[in-house]
Amino acid sequence: MTDVLLRLDRVNSFYGPVQVHFDLSLEVPCGQIVCLLGGNASGKSTTMKVILGLLKPRSGQVVFDGQPLTGLNTPQIVRRGIGSVPESRRLFGTMTVRENVLMGAYTRSDAKSVAEDYEGVLDLFPKLRERHAQQAGTLSGGEQQMVAMARALMGRPRLIVMDEPTMGLSPLHVDRVLEMIQTINRQGVSIFMVEQNASLALQIAHRGYVLQTGRIVLSGPAADLARDPQIRDAYLGGAQAA
Amino acid sequence: MLPTTFGPWLDYTINGLVIGNIYALLAVGLALIFGVSHLINFAHGSVYMVGAYIGWLCVTKLALPLPVTFVTVAAGCGLLGAVIERVGLRPLRNAPRIAPLLATIGLSVVLDQSAQLLFSPDPRALPTQLPTWRIAIGGGSIGALDLLIAGVGIGSAGLLYGFLRFTKLGWAVRATALDRDAAQQCGVDVDKVNRTVFAIASALGGVSGLLVGMYYNTIDPNMGFQAGLKGIVAQLIGGVGNVPGAIAGSLLLGLIESYGIALFGTSYRNLFAFVALILILVLRPNGLFARARRLPPEPLTGTFIAPSRPLVLPKWAVWTLAALALALPLVVQQPYLLQTLGNAWLYALLALSLTLVAGTVGQVSLGHAGLLAIGAYASSLLALDAGVPVLLAVPLAGLVAAALGTALVYPAFRLRGHYVSIATLAVGEIVTLVILNWESLTRGPIGVTGIPPLSVAGKPLVSGQWVYWVPLIVLLAFAALQSRLLNSHLGRTLRAIREDDVAARSYGVDLNRYKGLAFAVAGFIAGVGGALMAHFYSYINHETFPAPVSMLALTMVILGGLGNVAGAVLGAAVLVGLPELFRAAAEYRMLIYGVVLLLLIRFRPQGLLGTV
Ligand SMILES: Nc1ncnc2c1ncn2[C@@H]1O[C@H](COP(=O)(O)OP(=O)(O)OP(=O)(O)O)[C@@H](O)[C@H]1O
Ligand SMILES: [Mg+2]
Repeated sequence: MTDVLLRLDRVNSFYGPVQVHFDLSLEVPCGQIVCLLGGNASGKSTTMKVILGLLKPRSGQVVFDGQPLTGLNTPQIVRRGIGSVPESRRLFGTMTVRENVLMGAYTRSDAKSVAEDYEGVLDLFPKLRERHAQQAGTLSGGEQQMVAMARALMGRPRLIVMDEPTMGLSPLHVDRVLEMIQTINRQGVSIFMVEQNASLALQIAHRGYVLQTGRIVLSGPAADLARDPQIRDAYLGGAQAA
Repeated sequence: MLPTTFGPWLDYTINGLVIGNIYALLAVGLALIFGVSHLINFAHGSVYMVGAYIGWLCVTKLALPLPVTFVTVAAGCGLLGAVIERVGLRPLRNAPRIAPLLATIGLSVVLDQSAQLLFSPDPRALPTQLPTWRIAIGGGSIGALDLLIAGVGIGSAGLLYGFLRFTKLGWAVRATALDRDAAQQCGVDVDKVNRTVFAIASALGGVSGLLVGMYYNTIDPNMGFQAGLKGIVAQLIGGVGNVPGAIAGSLLLGLIESYGIALFGTSYRNLFAFVALILILVLRPNGLFARARRLPPEPLTGTFIAPSRPLVLPKWAVWTLAALALALPLVVQQPYLLQTLGNAWLYALLALSLTLVAGTVGQVSLGHAGLLAIGAYASSLLALDAGVPVLLAVPLAGLVAAALGTALVYPAFRLRGHYVSIATLAVGEIVTLVILNWESLTRGPIGVTGIPPLSVAGKPLVSGQWVYWVPLIVLLAFAALQSRLLNSHLGRTLRAIREDDVAARSYGVDLNRYKGLAFAVAGFIAGVGGALMAHFYSYINHETFPAPVSMLALTMVILGGLGNVAGAVLGAAVLVGLPELFRAAAEYRMLIYGVVLLLLIRFRPQGLLGTV
């Protein structure tokens, strides 16, 4: 057991000839919520892709629980204990809510404990119990976000990576989602979340990193970042920086 | 004669539904495969043929009981499907999407040719051990085999539904089809899903082949080509990737064919399917049952133009090579050798034409042999029936091929990627079927005999040297013309359309006009090529330019390097000339082409001389 659950070590990633990350390094300590802040096109979602093995970095490595993930494909990485809540949910639209949530347990073969966990997440998201037979694509944005989180939980991950979990939600739902993230975190799951909305993310995060055009320009405890004048200007004030 | 009572119509309906069930077994597999891998599997028809032959072995050689035969066919073809996924799809995961499509074409050629070598090209009888009773209902009747086919169709649909609905792997298949990345993030191994889907689809396809063999009591190594196309048509009617739609589309297609045969006769059967295909592609590319929500009308974009630096020959080298080629008959006198090379130059005309369309404009045409056929028939009939001098008939035939070819493909101009390939394949088949059926003009299945040779000032050019020189001179002229064209503004515009037609349109390029121009030039070149072939061969029929010639042309063009003029000539010389010179037995030739195509796609997509 190490204190650092996830570590990115001088990652350089590219889309064809275009470089997205420049020596990106960051850490997610065990049991914490860490947020990655940054404006549009700064490379946040690409960081998620690198962690999940959907994009192979040209150099540098991702280390999870002390083991480098180099050379593993996405399903193998997921099996190591990383769950994900992708950008804009990415539910399986014509499958039912129940099917969507249970797809999260795809890697598990213990039918009995899967069934127990399924009851568990329905207790956590009671709304989904009413909707379990409905097609996921027909749910509201907030409900879809719950399905996505429930799906990620079903794999019993040690870390959940989330891409802009509050995007496009009404203020009421935003609060609900943030509460949920804290609840999940209190159950011992570490969280790495990517956010454009710094003020929201810093409310619940322990630590934060600020990404600008593929480089970490600032990092520290969430409380410090929230007070940092640079952040205030760039993200917490009126105009958002690119 | 039109049946006037109700009874025969009931029979036609039953027949249509039975055939529809057989198509459904094919189409469902194609839809499943498209769902998870966005690939239209052209090898599917070959799997169906293999299924029929495995069944034939079980029934006639091993005398197995029918249920065991079915299980063996399903297992054998399922395994074959997994192999196809492994060789045809997985290594090309990161290649442009047209690459796996071409690979499945190569695989289908290899499978069909291997079956021909193993079992001979002759049809075989596939007797059923089923009882021969028929139940009479309302003037029509149903036999045991009809019931079996219906039972297998409905049973397979039920099994498939259960699999997709209630098993974990079935869920993974659906999830992968809906969102591949998200499925992977749930831990789904997409390779395994693909393999499973190919295996299931191929098992169903094989059973379909077995049933057809039993229904008509005959199987042959080429039965898969048409059937595969029918499956694709049925799938398109239902909307690509839509499994219930594929079943509905299949039943509809079966009924259309059956009623069509009742009204017009058997030889029109395939014409309905392919005309339906073109209509669907043009009018409802998402299928008849698509909801208002419009799917993107093409499954993919991206050409097969691998980035490469083409080999550019200096001017003097081109002139020297041309001069050497022209001087060859002065040194080499064997008529056989000259004739072989002359034939290679004729095929090079076809390759030149295809490299313009598939390479420069990026529209991978699979029906190019149709242009040869149009040119050949036009020139022969002009010379024979209208008394036009051959020397004039040949360029006129080029014009006819340009006009007809462009007009036939015109409706498909707005399609991209896979859909262009399917549409051109269908157009090629339509040309053959019209030639077969329009007897008053084309003499139908008998073919055209006594086509006069090319002659200048009353002197027929039939000797060895002329058989070599005439095609070569025409080829050099067209090659020079095409090179000029590629280096002009027009050539650059055509390549811009290939790279990004959306951007090209936004710069004010009228896509239809440029595509039309390219197809017209290509049609002219191929038409002249076909015309010359007709006058050299002196006899042609509807089978002189079959679909495999189109595949051969594609292989030549990819071998030389797509869009590369010198490459097209080289490709034709290598693929037509070499096997002949090495006296490779004719029956192995198509097999070699299939293997070459597969190897090229996998290891050297830019061809020998590089893409332009
Ligand atoms: N599949 C791709 N191919 C090529 N370039 C890409 C691809 N995905 C993203 N990019 C580019 O990489 C850069 C970083 O993209 P990324 O999606 O990581 O940004 P982001 O920080 O998540 O932005 P947003 O706030 O819009 O979600 C952008 O310039 C984007 O255009
Ligand atoms: Mg993003």
